[in-house]
Amino acid sequence: MSAVIEPAVAISEVKRQRTQQPRRIKKTHGTAVISFATLIGLLALWIIATKYHFASALFLPSPSDVAVQAVAVASEGYANGTLLDHILASLGRIGVALAFGIGLGIPVGLLMGLNRWAKGILGVPIDIYWGLPPLAYLPLMIIWLGIGEASKIVLLSLAAFAPICFAAQAGVRSVPQERINAARSLGATSYQVFTSIIFPSALPEIFTGVRIAIGATLSTLVAAELIAAQSGVGYMIMSAANFLATDVVFVGLIVIAIFAFAFATGMRFLENRIAPWKGKL
Amino acid sequence: MLSIRNATVKFEAADGTEIHALDRVSFDIPPDSIVVALGASGCGKSTLLNAIAGFQSLTEGQILIDGLPVDKPGGDRGVVFQKDTLLPWSNVLDNVALGLRYRGVPKLERYRQARELLQLVGLSDFETKPPYELSGGMRQRVGIARALATDPKILLMDEPFGALDSLTRENMQQLLATVWAKTRKQVFFITHSIEEALALGTHILVMSPRPGRIVARYEADFVRTFAATGDLGPILSHPRFVSLREEIRSIIHTPASHNERHAA
Ligand SMILES: Nc1ncnc2c1ncn2[C@@H]1O[C@H](COP(=O)(O)OP(=O)(O)OP(=O)(O)O)[C@@H](O)[C@H]1O
Ligand SMILES: [Mg+2]
Repeated sequence: MSAVIEPAVAISEVKRQRTQQPRRIKKTHGTAVISFATLIGLLALWIIATKYHFASALFLPSPSDVAVQAVAVASEGYANGTLLDHILASLGRIGVALAFGIGLGIPVGLLMGLNRWAKGILGVPIDIYWGLPPLAYLPLMIIWLGIGEASKIVLLSLAAFAPICFAAQAGVRSVPQERINAARSLGATSYQVFTSIIFPSALPEIFTGVRIAIGATLSTLVAAELIAAQSGVGYMIMSAANFLATDVVFVGLIVIAIFAFAFATGMRFLENRIAPWKGKL
Repeated sequence: MLSIRNATVKFEAADGTEIHALDRVSFDIPPDSIVVALGASGCGKSTLLNAIAGFQSLTEGQILIDGLPVDKPGGDRGVVFQKDTLLPWSNVLDNVALGLRYRGVPKLERYRQARELLQLVGLSDFETKPPYELSGGMRQRVGIARALATDPKILLMDEPFGALDSLTRENMQQLLATVWAKTRKQVFFITHSIEEALALGTHILVMSPRPGRIVARYEADFVRTFAATGDLGPILSHPRFVSLREEIRSIIHTPASHNERHAA
């Protein structure tokens, strides 16, 4: 009599949802297998193309040449440094720039999402510089800050900052009003509404912003190193290109591709750890 | 006791016209009552509930709790929303305990209270699940438990069962009747289902749109029988239930052109 409802129905519903999950996981495994096969296929094409001399080694070095060159660059070095030196120089710049971009972009973006004044005042300069290609104001940075690390760090930080800032703003604005109302009717203070509702609700958007920022930073980094640097993977590529050392260029490109892949994988991992509910509710 | 006095809300629409969402609405929510606001889409029911909850300020009039005016949300008025507003990053237990966490109740104590409420709504086995692994009806039950956790004087519910299939809906109605009988809360409940209004309401306010006002008031006590027997069937065919249902239906459907134009 005392009313408390069909647990049988309820449990079977949860079971049904649970049994659906493995199927979805299997599907993503399937995609991974296909992607991996594609990768192998591309590699095979590359081997065949070089083996049968479809292109001269100057344009397309063989995988084994590239591997040999990679070992040489790693042990003996190229363009004033070993491969590791260049990688560390590039990673250092990205790391510092992302630290600035995340450390400033998230709080400034949240503030702009919450406060009309902050948005009004900060929005204009951010919109203006974000509209410019970073390489267009790199010369200005060099005039202001010199050819050293500072100009590159500032350039990269600016490239990282804007997308994170925009994403944090969008995250705040996308919080459902009902969720905020629910918290307030449960007695939350403004501070509690922010920490327990607004910030976590904005997290998935912030992750998207960081992912975009990583892409923007990486492309800006390589471009900046091509133009104005004495170290870094971009510099190594440029130096090699000057001597038509195509195999070293390939080594550099592969390293950058690995960077990009590692960052993307790392972000996906973090996102699944920190915001696993994304898109669920 | 909660009193609504001359509550009036005017909105300015995007095109600059004025929308009279609520026009001098007055009623009381006495102790031990379920007051149901019933009416077609757009007659100002949500506006009224939001005003009572403190989410919407009144253009004129007052909301009084025990004679004192309120204009902000507070833990004395728990809200259950039509769309569930559970936090996807917290499990069921933490969701129910949220209001207690805001109050600084220590973890063990708030979990103890939350578990009691989960038992009340029949979800003890699901406390560690994230909300998105529950069905709609289960989520709504978590929402009710969460609203009850801060021990509000009054429970405000905006079409809480509107999105559920009819079987689940009837189970939820039964749950609400039982919870109400056990906890003795005052409830303000919104619906556009006449049968739901009669099955659950001790007081029924029939509203009409443009401007939103109360056009008829009824008292009923089917909910007590419902809570005691847990069986809606005999109530639905009770002669007085049937005659009230038809009477309210005729009121709601009289200015049909009026309603329809607005509901679009
Ligand atoms: N923020 C707002 N700005 C302008 N007009 C609004 C706003 N909120 C509600 N309205 C208008 O006020 C009237 C009443 O809306 P309300 O949401 O209270 O209706 P309701 O009875 O809850 O309808 P439903 O059953 O569809 O939920 C409607 O005409 C609606 O368009
Ligand atoms: Mg409504």
